[in-house]
Amino acid sequence: MTWIPYKRSWDGIDSTGHNVNAGLLEKDRNLYTIRAVPLTDVHSIHRHAPPLGWQYVIVVLSSGLAHPPLYFYNGGVREFLATIKQHVSLLRSRDDANVFLVNDLQDPLQKSLSSLELPRAVPGSNGTALHSSISSSFSNETPGRLNDATVDGKSTTTEYNGKQKQKFNDPARDISIQVLEKFSLVTKFARETTSQLFRESHHDSSNSYERMQWMNSGSINMASIEPTIKQKVPDENPATLDSLQVDKLSLVWGKARQSPLNYVEWATFLDSEGRVKDSEALRKRIFYGGVENNLRKEVWRILLGYHAYDSTYAEREYLASVKKSEYDVIKSQWQSISPSQAKRFTKFRERRGLIEKDVVRTDRSFTYYDGDDNQNVTLLHDILLTYSFYNFDLGYCQGMSDLLSPILFVMENESEAFWSFVALMERLGPNFNRDQNGMHSQLFALSKLVELLDSPLHNYLKQADCLNYFFCFRWILIQFKREFEYEQVMYLWEVFWTHYLSEHFHLYVCVAILKRYSRKIIGEQMDFDTLLKFINELSGHIDLDGIIRDAEALCVCAGENGEACIPPGTPPSLPIEAESMYLPQDDDL
Amino acid sequence: MSYAYLFKYIIIGDTGVGKSCLLLQFTDKRFQPVHDLTIGVEFGARMITIDNKPIKLQIWDTAGQESFRSITRSYYRGAAGALLVYDITRRETFNHLASWLEDARQHANANMTIMLIGNKCDLAHRRAVSTEEGEQFAKEHGLIFMEASAKTAQNVEEAFISTAATIYKKIQDGVFDVSNESYGIKVGYGGIPGPSGGRDGTVSQGGGCCS
Repeated sequence: MTWIPYKRSWDGIDSTGHNVNAGLLEKDRNLYTIRAVPLTDVHSIHRHAPPLGWQYVIVVLSSGLAHPPLYFYNGGVREFLATIKQHVSLLRSRDDANVFLVNDLQDPLQKSLSSLELPRAVPGSNGTALHSSISSSFSNETPGRLNDATVDGKSTTTEYNGKQKQKFNDPARDISIQVLEKFSLVTKFARETTSQLFRESHHDSSNSYERMQWMNSGSINMASIEPTIKQKVPDENPATLDSLQVDKLSLVWGKARQSPLNYVEWATFLDSEGRVKDSEALRKRIFYGGVENNLRKEVWRILLGYHAYDSTYAEREYLASVKKSEYDVIKSQWQSISPSQAKRFTKFRERRGLIEKDVVRTDRSFTYYDGDDNQNVTLLHDILLTYSFYNFDLGYCQGMSDLLSPILFVMENESEAFWSFVALMERLGPNFNRDQNGMHSQLFALSKLVELLDSPLHNYLKQADCLNYFFCFRWILIQFKREFEYEQVMYLWEVFWTHYLSEHFHLYVCVAILKRYSRKIIGEQMDFDTLLKFINELSGHIDLDGIIRDAEALCVCAGENGEACIPPGTPPSLPIEAESMYLPQDDDL
Repeated sequence: MSYAYLFKYIIIGDTGVGKSCLLLQFTDKRFQPVHDLTIGVEFGARMITIDNKPIKLQIWDTAGQESFRSITRSYYRGAAGALLVYDITRRETFNHLASWLEDARQHANANMTIMLIGNKCDLAHRRAVSTEEGEQFAKEHGLIFMEASAKTAQNVEEAFISTAATIYKKIQDGVFDVSNESYGIKVGYGGIPGPSGGRDGTVSQGGGCCS
C-alpha cells in the first residue's frame, strides 16, 4: 500500500484563526507519505468521520507505528476500505466500530486498548498473498479528491471553535472526558510512534503546518463535540460518536522536547541593545527545552519578571545597581537590631530562629550548600531574613528556603538572588500564607481539572474521601522541588515560568502524574493514607520529560475548559487585589 | 514481611524539635543532623515484637510549622499512637504542647495513645525545661512521658515500643474494635485478638533519661 499526498499548498484559515500560507513543505509531504507498506505489516485502520471537517484514516502498523492522519477532503474512506478488503481480511473491532483490524482474527486491539499493553506484533495469520500492492488504486486516484479541499468544513470548524466553547454543558463535558480517557489509553503506545514521526519536523519551529495539525487535533475535537450534543443530533452514523470519542491517534501529545536554549540561540532573540524581540517566541522556545545552565542567570531574571522583556542591557545593569543599594538598606534593618532590642522583639527572634534552623536543613547534600560554615548557607539565611522584613506580613514560612536555594545557586549574587526571589514570591507568596488560601485554591483547581480530565479518578477520589488533594500538597507548595533531581527542578521551573500554555502549567503536571497512576490508584483502592504514602514515594521516580509532554497535551486538550477550572487569582497568577494579599501572621511556631 | 498488627503512629510537635531525627534513629539507627526539613509529611516503618507477635509500625513524621496545621490535621485520622515531641532546650516548644494536644484530641480518635517526648536530653547543659515539668504535664493530660535523645539514641527504642505496648494492651483489653481501621490498627496474619497469656518482657518501660 502506498499513499502519496497530492495537495501542495494551504491557503485557508486554520482553526485558530491564523492564516496558514505556508506551503506544504517537502518535509511534510514526506511525513504524510506511506511508501509501499506490505499489508501484512498493517495492524489496523482507524476511520474518522467527524460531523464537521474532513474525513481521515490513520494506519497503524503492527510494529506499533502509527502513520499521521490521511485526509480525504472529498469523501472516499468507504471506497478506500472496500478496496483494502479486496486484498486482506478486514474486521471491525468489537470495541470500536471505526477501527478496522487488518489480518487479525483475535482482535488484540480491543484487548490491548483496555489493558494498555498494545502488542508489538500481530500474528500474521494468512500472510502469504498479502504483499499485493494497492497503490494503483489509491496513490493515483485519491489525489484528485485531495485536491478539492472543502472550504466549508474549515470555516464551520472555525466558527464553532471561536464561539461555542463557553457554552459547555454537562453532557458534552462528559463526552469530552471520555474523549480524554480514550486518549490516555493510547498515549503510551502512540507516544513512541509519533515521537518518531514528529521528531524531525518539530525541530523546525517554523513548521506551521505541523503546529496546525497539532492544534487542530486538540481543538477540533472539543469543538465538534459540543454542537452535536447540544442539538441532540441522533446518532445516525456510528462514525459520529466515535469521532466524538477522540481522534485517538491523531491527538498528538506533547511535542518532543528540545535541547536547552544556549548562548548562540539566545543572542538571536535579542536586538542590538539587549531587548527580547519576541517574548512569546522566547517563552515558547524555553517551554520546549529549558535553558543551558550558564545562561540561566540572565534568562531567569527575565522569566521571573525581575527584568522586563523589553529592557535593554543598560537598563538591566542600571536596575541591578539600584536594587543592590535597595537590598542593602532592607538588610541593614535587621542587621542593626541590637541584642537588647532583639530581646524585646519576639517576632524577629522567632523568625530568625526558624530561618537559622531551616537553612542548615536545605539541600545540604548538594555541593553548593554542603560542608560546615558554608557561606552560601549564610547567604540563604540573610536573604530569607531580609525577605521577612521586605514582606513583613508574610514573613518566613517553611518551603521558602527550598524555592530560594536554586535561585541563589543560579544567581551567585546575594542581591540578584533576593530580587529574583521577590519576583517569584509575587506569584507564589500565597502558597505560604497563614490561612493557606493560596494552597487551597490550587488544590481546588486541581480537583476540578482532574474531574475534567480523568473522571474515573475523580469519582474514585470522591468516593474515597480524598478530594482535598492534600496528597499533592508538597508538589504544589514548592513546585516539585522534592520530587526531582536539582538540575531537573531548575529545568521544570523555567518551563513553568514561561507561562507559555498556561500560568498554571504546574497543575497540569499534577494531573499528568496522577493520570499515569490513575489505574493503579483505583485498582488498588488506595485510601487517603496509602495514597499519600504512594505519592510521597514517587519522588525521584517520575519521568520528567514524559510528564511534561503529557501535561502539555492535557493542557491543550482541556483548552478553555481547563482554564475555567482555575478560579481567577489562583497562584501563580498575580493576585487580583494586591492590598489584601497577606494576612499578618500572629506567631510562627 | 507479615505482621500480626500494623499500628499507625504520627509524630507531632514544633518545628526543629527533632521529630525526623527521632524517626530516623528508630528506623535506621542513625543520627543525621543535616536532614532536609520536612515539607508535608514523611514516612518511616519498622517491625517490632511485642508478646512474641510481630508488629509493624508505620510512622508519619509531620511538618511542624504553624502554617501547615490545617494540612497536618488531616494526618491524624486513623492514628493509633502519637509521639508529641518538644525540645528540652527551647522553652517555647514546651509552651506550645497544649495547642498540639488540643489539635490531637480534636482530630484523632479518642483512644489514641499519646507519648510525650522531651527530646535532646543529651544537651542537659542547655536545658530550659526540667524533667519534673515534663512529668507534670504528662500526668495532667494522661500521657506517657519520656525524655530522649535522637542523637545518642537514648530512650528512642523505648519511646516507640512502649507506645506500641500500650496500644497492644488496649487491644487485649478490648478497648479497640480492631476490625475498624479508623483506630489506626490493621490486623495482619496471626493477629486476630484472643485470650492472651499477657505481655512479656520485650517491652522496657523507660524512665526519664536525664533526671
